[in-house]
Amino acid sequence: MTLAETFPLQALSSADYLSLTPLFLLSFGAIAALLLGTHKVQGHSRAFVAAGVTIVLALLSYGTNVGAEATVLLNGTLIIDSFTRTLSFAACLFSLVAVIITRGADIKENLLSEVYALILFSTAGMILMMSTSHLLFMFIALEIMSLAVYVMVAMRRTSYFSAEAGLKYFILGGFGSALLLYGTSLIFGATGSFELSAIGKFISGTQPTPIFYVGLGLVITAMLFKVGAVPFHGWVPDVYQGAATNVTAFMSAGVKFTAFMAFGRIALNTVFVENVPGMQWFESYIWLVAAASMIYGNFVAISQNELKRMLSFSTIAHTGYLLLGLYGMRLGPESAQSVLLYLFFYALSSLGAFAIVAQFESANEKDVRIEQMAGLGLRHPIMGACMTVFLLSMAGIPLTSGFIGKYGLFNSAVNAGQIPLVVIAVLTSVVSVYYYLRVIVYMFMKEADGNQAIYQNLRGAGLAATISAAATLQFGVFPRAVIQLIKYLAK
Amino acid sequence: METTSTLLTWIIFTPALLGVLTLLAPSSLEGKLRQFALYQTIINAILATFMYAGFIGQESGYQFVHAVEWLPDWGINYLVGIDGISLPLVMLTAYVAPLAVLGTWPDLSHGGELKLEKFFVSLIMFLQTGMYGTFLAVDLFLFYFFWEVVLIPMFFLIGIWGGKERIYATIKFFLYTMVGSLLMLVAIFWVVRSTGEQLGNLNASLEVISGLKFAFDGSSPGAALTSPQALLFLAFALAFVIKVPMVPFHTWLPDAHVQAPTIGSVFLAAVLLKLGTYGLMRIAIPLFPQAAEYFSVMFIALGVIGIIYGAFCALAQSDFKKLVAYSSVSHMGYIMVGLFSFNKIALAGSLYQMINHGISAGGLFLVVGFLYERLHTRNLNEFGGLSKVVPMMAIAFMVMTLSSVALPGSNGFVGEFPILLGSFQTHPWFVLFAGTGVILGAVYALKAYQLVMLGPVTRTDTDHLHDLNWRELVAMSVLALFVFGIGFFPKTFFGKSDATLNTYADTLIQKVGSP
Repeated sequence: MTLAETFPLQALSSADYLSLTPLFLLSFGAIAALLLGTHKVQGHSRAFVAAGVTIVLALLSYGTNVGAEATVLLNGTLIIDSFTRTLSFAACLFSLVAVIITRGADIKENLLSEVYALILFSTAGMILMMSTSHLLFMFIALEIMSLAVYVMVAMRRTSYFSAEAGLKYFILGGFGSALLLYGTSLIFGATGSFELSAIGKFISGTQPTPIFYVGLGLVITAMLFKVGAVPFHGWVPDVYQGAATNVTAFMSAGVKFTAFMAFGRIALNTVFVENVPGMQWFESYIWLVAAASMIYGNFVAISQNELKRMLSFSTIAHTGYLLLGLYGMRLGPESAQSVLLYLFFYALSSLGAFAIVAQFESANEKDVRIEQMAGLGLRHPIMGACMTVFLLSMAGIPLTSGFIGKYGLFNSAVNAGQIPLVVIAVLTSVVSVYYYLRVIVYMFMKEADGNQAIYQNLRGAGLAATISAAATLQFGVFPRAVIQLIKYLAK
Repeated sequence: METTSTLLTWIIFTPALLGVLTLLAPSSLEGKLRQFALYQTIINAILATFMYAGFIGQESGYQFVHAVEWLPDWGINYLVGIDGISLPLVMLTAYVAPLAVLGTWPDLSHGGELKLEKFFVSLIMFLQTGMYGTFLAVDLFLFYFFWEVVLIPMFFLIGIWGGKERIYATIKFFLYTMVGSLLMLVAIFWVVRSTGEQLGNLNASLEVISGLKFAFDGSSPGAALTSPQALLFLAFALAFVIKVPMVPFHTWLPDAHVQAPTIGSVFLAAVLLKLGTYGLMRIAIPLFPQAAEYFSVMFIALGVIGIIYGAFCALAQSDFKKLVAYSSVSHMGYIMVGLFSFNKIALAGSLYQMINHGISAGGLFLVVGFLYERLHTRNLNEFGGLSKVVPMMAIAFMVMTLSSVALPGSNGFVGEFPILLGSFQTHPWFVLFAGTGVILGAVYALKAYQLVMLGPVTRTDTDHLHDLNWRELVAMSVLALFVFGIGFFPKTFFGKSDATLNTYADTLIQKVGSP
């Protein structure tokens, strides 16, 4: 069998080209940003403008075409319908915020101007990854996304930890990718297809071969690794802490969002397929990982003294909540929206929180400790108010979008009959309230002791934080518009 | 439900709107903000009075309903309304607020300084929005929403303007409440989902939910504990009894009270604790009546323990504020006994007691605040003979003490007597013990009064100790008016609740199937 037979390529129609426009835009925009960034003096600002314009154009392109006819390219490998367009729109939105945060932070952290191009490349990888249901293609998209992120993580030349984090992420990430690839090949061997929907149909009502189970186990493990769930979370704290904060913001929003959407697609077509014997083992596997992530992430975050590290442990806990949401997904698109909603709202608060952290600096070049935030909320009230909103949102307190997201997520999980897991989630989120409050306590209730962190107003990060905070409150009180939008688009 | 009036929405959101305005005010106006807060609370009191005048006492359903679509996809709507149970509580909030602002006016004559005044005043306004919202919500989700919103301003009020141990106290307060609330949230998911299963479409309105049936099997303790109705009841009840607070979940209260600034203590004692008993009365008991009846003995027993234990703790305190805090634990125990005795008279008494405790505890915390402001101590042993120096304050303190010990003719009697009378018909032995709480209550309240006001003057720095100023006098006089007004003419004040209370008790007793 030649390659052309397995993978026949066809000529693209004009509609196909239209659907691919944003991807072209992102790729060419990235190259443009790369070239413009070489200017000695204005390299950073030119690359910023190029990246910003590119993403805005991509957003416009998705925004105007979102309801257009679905296009299926490469024999069903790349599906561009209203749902994937919505996901892509969200990914571009997060990238735009990340680009804005990077402005200012790039000089402060001594990042190269290439960071803008890398964000665009990575975004293109995200869009591909969320638009495909072809396992091999997913692997390639994952690599496009991850490679750019590896470089970004290692790019913070002012910190020793950055290079370590980059290397760690690269090696462990490569390990995860290898698992995915190996699992994919085993699944292909067992079912004869890379296509997730075809795999789902193939195994439905049959007894799959043992090879399939091994392959599926590997694929799921690889995805759990990518989303950073316990016990595959080892890289998360170090990488989040070592990377420049703007990069951390990008990872916690965009990369996590993408990995979860891809994971959801895989799980829906394999683990949650009806009438397949043995799938309950994989369900219990995810159940255990979800519970472990919530418990471990939340309890370990309590004992963290560095702000960024605390936030990175809390993202592990949020991964646990999202895995809980996966169970809701099996009930159909209605519940899948709640995961999407949660991810969207979480990404918003997470971007904002890291945007604020990016503006702080400790005098001795180390990461800012929570105690060093003493009195800063009162000294910089707008920043303090924004941070409070983000932390309350992550803790899931009403008035913020995080509460709406959590309500939807837990609700769909209760509907899926996962009450014990929801109770674990709820009780561990009480724990999370403690460490989120601790930051607020230091910001507003402790006196500054002269040792506090230095606040440097970065215009980009400040803007991003203010917008995210406003959106967090807006969607926390009037979430209907977003819910309806997602419902309409995901039809 | 159809919208009949938007008045309640105005009552709820006027404070929040003005609170945002306060935050935006220029710093040069900082000295005027208390006045602004006073105007806001008076506006709200006027709005509430209008509402009270328009409230039809003969009807038992929700009135002044305002319904707006909010999240129809999840069966959630903005739905507010008022009936005879929430009416007195809303009025309590509306009248306590201006008095609390008046009674805690900052005294800047001795070089005192305002601390973050803008933030403080706006938090007080946001707090009111949360309290009104919780009492007026007729949608379960909306109720939860406001219930949690109340926490945030209180968290900052205690944490920023509190005493030495304020951070410990405020985190404890927040976390205790959160544990209960989040389990309640899971229960809310379950209930709302049940509306979808039993009625075909999701709806979180309390009226719709009261029509649901949840399986309950009381044949054996194991079967009872695992039946859906019992699980739901316990999840809701836990959230509420933490807030009440019922022994053994009361330990956050003394800390929060002692550390909170005076105005925070007043709101906490007068209104916030009532959110818990209101939740029991409005949600936990009527929605899950069989389970509530099954566990009632446990709750009555804990209520009685609370009465006696709280009273003994109060007796042992030398910190005046802690004494009043423990007296709250004791007095709230009566409400628990009344609510769970499933008797018409006791249920009505519980509602009255909520209001009366709000008045007496609020007043006592104001008195503690007056003394602390002037003498900078709360240690009971450091006072003595003050009635000779500050006679007006001594009178005000006496009135609040009498109300607290439930002297006939004061409002306290109107609440506690029906509770004891009603519960005696169903649980005579428990009431026998609860009755001793009345005696103990008199002992610690009079002991406090004696240590502060009577005997020889022990302090040497009393010459610049001034009596109540006109603001404080107004605040205490209005409270005293309510103490004796309710004490002598309870019908005038609670008459509009009769119809609702009657229907409430009849429906409940009929659902439970016991006399």
